Amino acid sequence: MDAQRLKENFAAVAEQGDAVAMFFYSDLFVRNPHLRDMFPIGMTGQRDKLLRALGQIVSKVDDLPSLVPFLQQLGRDHRRFGIVAEHFPNVGASLLATLRHFSGAAWTEDVESDWNAAYSLVAKVMLEAADENALTSPAWWNGQVIAAERRRFDIAVLRVQPDRPLPYTPGQSVALEVPSRLRHWRYYSMANAPRPDHTVDFHVRLVDGGPVSPVLVRGTKPGDRVRMGAPVGTLTLDESSDRDVLLVAGSTGLAPLKAILEQIAGRPVPPRVHLFFGARDRDGLYDLEHLSKLAAELPWLTVVPAVSDEPVPDESGGHGFSALLGSGGGHGTGRGGPANEGIEHGDLPDVVARRGPWPGHDAYVCGPAAMAEAAVERLAASGVARDRIRLESFADAQR
Amino acid sequence: MNSPNLPVVPDGSRLTPGELQSVVFARAALGRRGYDEDQVREFLQYVERELVQILNQKAALGEEVNRLRAQAGRGAGGVMAPEDAHFQAVRILSQAQQTADLYVADAERYTRELAHEARLHREAILSDAKGRAEQMLEDAHRKAAEVADAAVRAVPPPAATAPSGPGVPSGPGGAPGAGGASSDDRRHELEREIAYLRTYSEVYRTHLRSYLEALLRNVDEWESSERASVPGDTPGPPLRG
Repeated sequence: MDAQRLKENFAAVAEQGDAVAMFFYSDLFVRNPHLRDMFPIGMTGQRDKLLRALGQIVSKVDDLPSLVPFLQQLGRDHRRFGIVAEHFPNVGASLLATLRHFSGAAWTEDVESDWNAAYSLVAKVMLEAADENALTSPAWWNGQVIAAERRRFDIAVLRVQPDRPLPYTPGQSVALEVPSRLRHWRYYSMANAPRPDHTVDFHVRLVDGGPVSPVLVRGTKPGDRVRMGAPVGTLTLDESSDRDVLLVAGSTGLAPLKAILEQIAGRPVPPRVHLFFGARDRDGLYDLEHLSKLAAELPWLTVVPAVSDEPVPDESGGHGFSALLGSGGGHGTGRGGPANEGIEHGDLPDVVARRGPWPGHDAYVCGPAAMAEAAVERLAASGVARDRIRLESFADAQR
Repeated sequence: MNSPNLPVVPDGSRLTPGELQSVVFARAALGRRGYDEDQVREFLQYVERELVQILNQKAALGEEVNRLRAQAGRGAGGVMAPEDAHFQAVRILSQAQQTADLYVADAERYTRELAHEARLHREAILSDAKGRAEQMLEDAHRKAAEVADAAVRAVPPPAATAPSGPGVPSGPGGAPGAGGASSDDRRHELEREIAYLRTYSEVYRTHLRSYLEALLRNVDEWESSERASVPGDTPGPPLRG
């Protein structure tokens, strides 16, 4: 296999963009109509994924040490879609037909044999990883929602009972599918450390126009079924470290960090932990009540809530009642919560930096991409070594 | 006329062997032998014309066959080679998929816009509610202060040291009068405070009750509109303006 020739051929084909993936799937479905049902109606996202994955594979084709783990993960990930060995030759045939079609005169026997060799390798590694994984883990877990609590009009906390133990490391996530949106999988982090009864919590924020999150937030009730893929993710606690810990959570990015917090709480001697929990407004601090309770119980934990889009409250405060009412803000965050006290104002990364510096800390960051990136910069400037920062943004989670 | 019963051949149809055999020539006149030459000549001319026609048609058919063969080779037109049929199917499926993708994208954009509007409504409703609550408190405060002042005026102060004038009361938890005040002063102060608080809470309760009722109606409406949309499926506007 001539890696360079393969890369050049793919670069030329990939220039034709979406049409390539469109041709590939149409070719696949014309030849194998029964495969169409394995995909969602709208295929825009699917085509992007295909081109990205192909690009990744081709770019690493001469770097097996990084290609193989990528393919192994891909192989394991595909188990939940019901992909089995028989499907691989079909996909290979359509892939070759697509590449031939878009290569035009550049398609030679040599190029064809390069692609054949590359695809055989890809299929082999993916299948082996899938088979190996099948020895220890199901293709997916069925789960039943046992509690659904709407914390705000667009945020819900769901508790799910898997049909069999779901082993994971706190901070990891699973792809989730709901019956009314078949073949749409979205990643959500478990918001708790593993429990004896195996139940897991998910914090779901409604994404306007999204296919899955509105169903989860607005239309899910106890008894509903979900499917879950295998846990993935690298935002996990470094258990070898005894440094103090910073947890920086933007909105529902709290979920994996709360799981990590529970894991830390299980240690015989927990380190000092600062948990920063940010949202646009007080209303968005959907879990503050519980976090404040934890902070009151655990001497080693400090919780710092922050809001970015609310004006700093007017200290003159009218009649006293007014301030009390104002703290209610929306649906229930005020309930017994620490009304105004301790809520910082400003963008979360700024608030973290303001409370710093943080030399000698391990930091874990999760939230919207822009917030997570800004937080990493501010943390680095506040004395946290970059290799002591682990982060995950929602963009990663939506893979 | 003494013509032979030549077959009647309509234009465009073909002389058949059977017709040829059935041709009967009239006998020649007495003293002459054989066929009537004219008739024979005429018949031969007829056969010749037919043959020319047949040869022409044969050539045309040959051309047609070649043309169709060439066409089949190119694959255009009527019967397609399997390869081309496949591309055609791929193209049609791609077009159908594009249409589906377009519809999905449109639907998503539409729900996004609806949700955005709903959020704006929600914020407007919340800020309106806050404004009303503040207004309500102001109102209660003003009325209570008036009543408290009236209560004080109703009981004439026994001494000039009693606080007088329409000063704003210190409100709940406010400090009592200055040090050295008599028990009467103290009593006045308390009466005033009680009157204030009673009126304040009364006005406040009335406002709060009517406001909560309005809110409940709002929530009912919201619930019924949510139920009317697909149960828990499509995201509709959570609030109705």
